[in-house]
Amino acid sequence: MMEKMLRTFYNGIIPENPTLRLVIGMCPVLAVTTAVVNSVWMGLAVIFVLTASNTLISLLRKFIPDKIRIPCFIVVIATFTTIADLVLAAVQPDVHKILGVFVPLIVVNCIILGRAEAFASKNPVHLALADGVGMGIGFTLAIMVLASIREILGSGSWFGIRLMPAGFEPATVMILPPGAFISLGFLLGTMNLVTARLAVRTSRSKQKSSSCAAHAGLEG
Amino acid sequence: MEEKKAVPGFDKLVVASSPHIRAVETVDRLMWQVIIALMPAAVVSVYFFGLRALVLMLVGIASAVLTEALVEKALKKEITIADGSAALTGLLLAFNVPANAPWWMVAVGAAFAIAVVKQTFGGLGANFVNPALAARAFMLAAWPQHMTGKFPVPLDSITAATPLAILKGTATGTLPSYLDLFIGNVGGVLGETSALALLVGGAYLIWQKVIDWRTPAGFIGTVAVLTWIFGGKGGLFTGDPLHHVLAGVLILGAFFMATDYVTSPITPKGRLIFGIGCGFITVLIRLWGGYPEGVSYSILLMNLVVPFLDRWTLPRVYGVTRARA
Amino acid sequence: MELRTFLGGVHPAPSKERTAGSPIQAAPLPKRVVIPLAQGGAPCDPLVNKGDAVLAGQKIGESKAFVSAPVHASISGKVVGIETCLLPTGREAPAVIIEGDGADTWVDSAGSTLEELSVESLRALIREAGLVGMGGAMFPTHVKVSPPPGKSFDSVIINGAECEPYLTCDQRLMVEEPGKIILGLKAWLKVTGAKRGYIGIENNKPEAISALKKAAAGEKDMEVVPLLTKYPQGSEKQLIKAILGREVPSGGLPVDAGALVQNVGTTYALATAIETGRPLVERVVTVTGTPVKNPQNLRVRIGTLVSDLLSYCGLEGEVGKIISGGPMMGIALPTADVPVIKGTSGILLLTPEEAAIPPERPCIRCGRCVDACPIGLIPTFLDQFCRKEIWDLAEEYHVQDCIECGSCAYVCPSKRHLVPALRLGKAEVLARRRRK
Repeated sequence: MMEKMLRTFYNGIIPENPTLRLVIGMCPVLAVTTAVVNSVWMGLAVIFVLTASNTLISLLRKFIPDKIRIPCFIVVIATFTTIADLVLAAVQPDVHKILGVFVPLIVVNCIILGRAEAFASKNPVHLALADGVGMGIGFTLAIMVLASIREILGSGSWFGIRLMPAGFEPATVMILPPGAFISLGFLLGTMNLVTARLAVRTSRSKQKSSSCAAHAGLEG
Repeated sequence: MEEKKAVPGFDKLVVASSPHIRAVETVDRLMWQVIIALMPAAVVSVYFFGLRALVLMLVGIASAVLTEALVEKALKKEITIADGSAALTGLLLAFNVPANAPWWMVAVGAAFAIAVVKQTFGGLGANFVNPALAARAFMLAAWPQHMTGKFPVPLDSITAATPLAILKGTATGTLPSYLDLFIGNVGGVLGETSALALLVGGAYLIWQKVIDWRTPAGFIGTVAVLTWIFGGKGGLFTGDPLHHVLAGVLILGAFFMATDYVTSPITPKGRLIFGIGCGFITVLIRLWGGYPEGVSYSILLMNLVVPFLDRWTLPRVYGVTRARA
Repeated sequence: MELRTFLGGVHPAPSKERTAGSPIQAAPLPKRVVIPLAQGGAPCDPLVNKGDAVLAGQKIGESKAFVSAPVHASISGKVVGIETCLLPTGREAPAVIIEGDGADTWVDSAGSTLEELSVESLRALIREAGLVGMGGAMFPTHVKVSPPPGKSFDSVIINGAECEPYLTCDQRLMVEEPGKIILGLKAWLKVTGAKRGYIGIENNKPEAISALKKAAAGEKDMEVVPLLTKYPQGSEKQLIKAILGREVPSGGLPVDAGALVQNVGTTYALATAIETGRPLVERVVTVTGTPVKNPQNLRVRIGTLVSDLLSYCGLEGEVGKIISGGPMMGIALPTADVPVIKGTSGILLLTPEEAAIPPERPCIRCGRCVDACPIGLIPTFLDQFCRKEIWDLAEEYHVQDCIECGSCAYVCPSKRHLVPALRLGKAEVLARRRRK
């Protein structure tokens, strides 16, 4: 059971990273990645909503009638989103102001509804939990990387700490929408490259082991 | 069999498809022709703005060529820096910045043009917008403080507003005379100032059949007509078309950037429409838009509709009576 | 007068100066000839066996099929074999091999005059003489002059454009034998019932134009038309457009535009057949190119080996390519051991430097191919469609109308191999249409 949970958890981080592999829920990815701080809070909110809604929907999956499952999912997700929104407003009012409409918009985020529909409603609770945490962390990591690129190039800082030397003139374009698209494009390309390399390596090692086995078989 | 021995040297016969002769024109030759055509304008801008202009041009070229070589090396592709296309992009990019622009901005812009706009889409022939112009838009968004406002004045160390900004009314100053505009004795980016030098280069390209006259003619003609009709403050037909044509990067854009093969239509009719469309958008931006200059955005926008123009203006096929849908 | 021409086209260097002024010479009688049984239309069945003695002009192959032209022995001697041989078209086909006796004895034949011949006997003569299109296509002429039911010819055009660089065989025939060309044209008019005859000649051959104008003086239904020198002016469709201002409908034949286009060589062969009764057993071949020591226009017996012609003309320097035909549409040969056939207008040799294949670069969309295409296609789009095997789009963009003239590849600055790609697409699209 533990192994299956771990695999489900890992699945959301690299092989099926919602942002970089599935490319869903792009709205906050492009909008809130102007600074790393914003992306961290956004990521935390998504992890919370995703894990909680995945768990609850998985628990309720036997009771929810098939025909009205989407409204039911939405009600569950909206509940947790409201909690996240109110908590964030209380704990981090400044960040809440910057994130603005994007926290309430988690309700309609593809990742959460997608995982509810594709995974939580079909799997037992412990896996749904692992999936929620994995996908949430995968999302958070992706937008943190994106936000890091954009903040360093566009503002010359990281987490608000000035990194670049005094003479550096930040490229404003990187914290404008075009910068988001350009960085995201390169990030997706890098991710494709990495996974392709990984796939080649695994298939090669498999081939190697199988050819070794064949060889051994011949000799035996 | 004896006869065959009398005929020597048939061991290296090439068997290939017709045609067996090719015109001398090559991609390399075309690109270097355009670079040659830009030389008069380059010399004039060095004369007016000093060595600073030369440094910026060299930085632009060096950065573009180096980036192309590095990206192609990283992607394990053939290194094609000798074809001159990267050098041309770097030079055109430098022509689009003012003389007081920092050198690193030109270097980053040229690297962006090649690495992001050109090579990510597949290299030569595959980019869908003009690399130099896309990089200019990038620089304008990244470092607006260096790309807008007051530009250096020729042969002087002061800066002043560009003629187009004065014409638009967003800046104050006196309009330069037509003669100054024509020979280039005005403030502006490196390549925009001397209409004369650019026209010499453009005429050379048309004479050498490197570019099609339709694009610049449509472009400049449309700008002239529309600014004459709508450009005046005293009602219709009171505009100053000559000023709008000579000031700004219109001539540079019309002859050297709108005519970029890769990002302009492939059919003759399409090129004319492309030029007219560029002129239309330029006037729209200059007269009613937020920027004093609209040439580069107009070309970028028209670049995007090129596939549509191609399909829309297919030539009539011999022996086919009905026009194709 | 403004010169008539067509839209598009290219201006390759004519390169004709080495042979344009040299009169047609007879090549030495070959000791051995290889006469392919398929020279125009369906392959012929051999009428002779190994060991048979044959005379020059004797029919040695015939087919019962309508779309086929008979073949004749071009020298007198003995049949030493019927074997499969390589043709200049790149294909292999059975051929009759004749060892010459050096006597050049001809079969008995009697000439006549055009007035004596009825339309029917003229048509029979065209078939019996084995006439085919001698510009390279080798389509049987008696089929070409018989319009399908419901269609008719109103004009005959003699194709004297000779737009292929290097080649001068048609030009020399027009200069040296204008009377026979006019006689041939009269015969075409008689056999088709067409009312007007035209001789289209590119204006870079003033000698040919004046010779034919002189010969045609007094003929009311004939006109010598000088044409702008531009490749491919000698393509059937472009010639009809230039002279008559009509277009052959897409997928149609020249008869759909009411026109019959005949090659100068075929016209000359018809006149010979009328005057002497002898069939088509020899033709004029231009042997030229940088590695050829004595380039010239030779009167060559059909079946003579290319290697024999080359040793007669002499070579200097290395040979990189042997082309049967002109440089724009000719076929590169893998060896010189192929016979001259009825459609061989020239043997062109290139040096290894001239034959080097330049590296192919990506298309930069310069549009030169679009300007050059005489049909109005977008060759670079078709190139991509055909390489990616998107046949639907290739058909929509009319790849099937391509005439493979090579103008697009000639002007391409990226040196793209447009012709093979388009040829493949054309074949594929036409095959798909037949399957439907």
